[in-house]
Amino acid sequence: MRSNKVGWLLLAPTIVVLALFGIVPFIYVLYVGFHQWNPFGANPSMIYNGANNFRRLVFDAEFLTAIWYTLKFALFAVLSEVVIGYFLAQLFMREFPGKGFFRTIHTLPLIVAPIVVGSVWRLMTTPSIGVIPYYLRTWFGFDLNIGRDPNAAFILTVIMDIWHWTPLVTLTLLAALVSLPKEPFEQAEIDGASRSQIFWHITLPMIRPAILATVFIRLMDALRTVDEVWMLTGGGPGAATRYIGLHIWKVVFPKTDYGYGSAISLIVLYLTLVMCWLLYVALVAPRRDARKVA
Amino acid sequence: MKHRVGTSLLALGLGLMAGLGAARADFWSDAGAKYKGVTLHGVTESTPPSNYVKDVLAKEFEEKTGIKVEMETTSWDQMYDKAIKDMEAKTGIYDMVYIEQDIIYAYLARNFLVNTSKMLADNPALKAPEYDEKNFTTFADYFKGDDGGLYGVPMEAFIKIYLYRTDLFGDSAIKEAFKQKTGKDLAPAKTHEDYTQIAEFFTQYGKDKGEELWGTTSQAHTGHPASWYEYVESILPTFGVYNWGIDASKNYAASVANGGTMNSDKAKAAMKYLLHLRDIAPPESASSTWTEVATTFAAGRAAQGLVYGENAAWIASDASKSKVVGKVGVALPPLSEGVMADAESGKGYIGYYDGGAFGIPVTSKNQEAALLFLEYIGQNSVQPGWAVAAPRITNTATYDDPQVKEMDGKLGGYYTMLKNDGKLFAGAPKYPFHAQVREAVAPIFYRILTGEVGPDEGVDQMAAAAEAELTNLGYRK
Repeated sequence: MRSNKVGWLLLAPTIVVLALFGIVPFIYVLYVGFHQWNPFGANPSMIYNGANNFRRLVFDAEFLTAIWYTLKFALFAVLSEVVIGYFLAQLFMREFPGKGFFRTIHTLPLIVAPIVVGSVWRLMTTPSIGVIPYYLRTWFGFDLNIGRDPNAAFILTVIMDIWHWTPLVTLTLLAALVSLPKEPFEQAEIDGASRSQIFWHITLPMIRPAILATVFIRLMDALRTVDEVWMLTGGGPGAATRYIGLHIWKVVFPKTDYGYGSAISLIVLYLTLVMCWLLYVALVAPRRDARKVA
Repeated sequence: MKHRVGTSLLALGLGLMAGLGAARADFWSDAGAKYKGVTLHGVTESTPPSNYVKDVLAKEFEEKTGIKVEMETTSWDQMYDKAIKDMEAKTGIYDMVYIEQDIIYAYLARNFLVNTSKMLADNPALKAPEYDEKNFTTFADYFKGDDGGLYGVPMEAFIKIYLYRTDLFGDSAIKEAFKQKTGKDLAPAKTHEDYTQIAEFFTQYGKDKGEELWGTTSQAHTGHPASWYEYVESILPTFGVYNWGIDASKNYAASVANGGTMNSDKAKAAMKYLLHLRDIAPPESASSTWTEVATTFAAGRAAQGLVYGENAAWIASDASKSKVVGKVGVALPPLSEGVMADAESGKGYIGYYDGGAFGIPVTSKNQEAALLFLEYIGQNSVQPGWAVAAPRITNTATYDDPQVKEMDGKLGGYYTMLKNDGKLFAGAPKYPFHAQVREAVAPIFYRILTGEVGPDEGVDQMAAAAEAELTNLGYRK
């Protein structure tokens, strides 16, 4: 009984902070989401409008487009980061000259602020002054203009995200690989298992929790990306890179449509939770069920 | 005796004069004494005039008053983001905020700002001897409320001008080639047709010569509001479409069907004009905001262009940043028929009279000290140096200062144009919903720029979206 009290006492500061900065704002956003509220409207006060904001977004082409592009962005970015990150982690498991230097260089993007990443990529990709358009034109005769080509802009935002966040995936998977026991691999080799069999039946299942955690973190980040893309393309050309985080920012801040922006935020939160849950069910639940059966 | 009395009177007179002079010179230290140790916080856009406030005027003020001024200069979006959040949440972080001319109506509607005229009238001790609202040009009228009070002390004002390369326009071989091709003399364009011909000519000329030269700049970013402003503030008026094509007197109508002009034939022609110029402008134009347009011109990559006046000084005179120093001419923008007559009669305008002021949020905790600072930057004596560092003029007397006159020569007569023709330009319409309508309509505008939607169809959609947003905001009944 006494230890329970001490436990609660020790937890109290965290609970208070969590309540103040997590739960209270969430409840407020929930409250605002059921109101029409634009302080620059003819009537600047909050007007209760039931579920109208949520009904409106179902038919809002801009919102649906933003969701679609965001999902595409998240899928390509996270998948590429996991694949490249895994190969880099495997590379760092081996010894090669200059490994320490390469590992340090490779980790540097992680410490750069997203807004700076966006600025640097903008400088590198601006036609006429950017190094990337210059070499693409010189070597391949390809004119890269992210202000006019929606596909190029989309691909560049994905590449920028991969450049920025793959090191995180590499480091996480490297930690997982380093901590694996040697015995199962030695046994598999003695039994004559091929490299692909070892990968699919031993390595992958054993690092699955690390992959899952990394994918969760990266997926949530990718779904709310704003700063980098804002700097690189401003959401353009057209709506090609107006991902949902940027869309919400534009609705809430310049447009000051607080009620509708809150409703979009809630729906995006819900979608993120559902996607994470689906991922969890797809990757973890079958394994757990298999264990139960065994 | 007579001589002694005379000497005494002279001494007394000199003493009084010296005393009064000292009292006058000491106004700032006397007025500042009460607020010594106070630190004023301001937020503004990072532009040459704002940087001058931060680097020069704030320091002078601090030396004279002991009041410290920390001026945060940031990007346009961040500046608004920070200022509005602060005033909205009533946190009182900022004692001064930059107010661009087009947002003053929104701020007034929300009662965000202090009436500086009333505050000075209520606190005569705060009135600096040199400060007088009458010193300002008529641009200050944009910052007056319905009560006639001044809610922002003007700190910058400029017109968006037509810059052209005097070296190219004056080159005899080029003039000859232009004459051969078009049958016209090469001179700054007066009409859209002329402007287009010149732009096409120089773009082709650059191609033929293998030079990095195009016929025009274009502020055509496909995801940034800068391109929207280029269209509604700089191009539409020159085609005779004013106030964004929204008519407040007709229930805030935007579409032609309801009495607006946002999707009129003139507006559609303006859109096609913008798209064509964008296509023959340097390739970076689709990623260019107002800043990049200036750097494109300064890099010598365009023969002509519409450039915000705030950039004219460094383009024309700063050799460390500009390759076209001494090669810049200024002219009024090209116009459709009837637009000049509209502007002269006050029915319309030919371009954007841009600028801003510093205001004091009602949430500021240091309003009196902030007012002292605003008076300081509003004095006639600090204006010439400021006008030379950044081409902005807010006080009438500044035009006659020798330094400014000399700079006017370097700028190809920009200040003279501001003085004489400033009346033909206008600030943004008196709407409190600029950002809201812009954000509702701009996504369609960006799709027109990328070619996803045709210009005619797109402009129709823009008018419909504007009306829908105005209805949603409660202005359109």
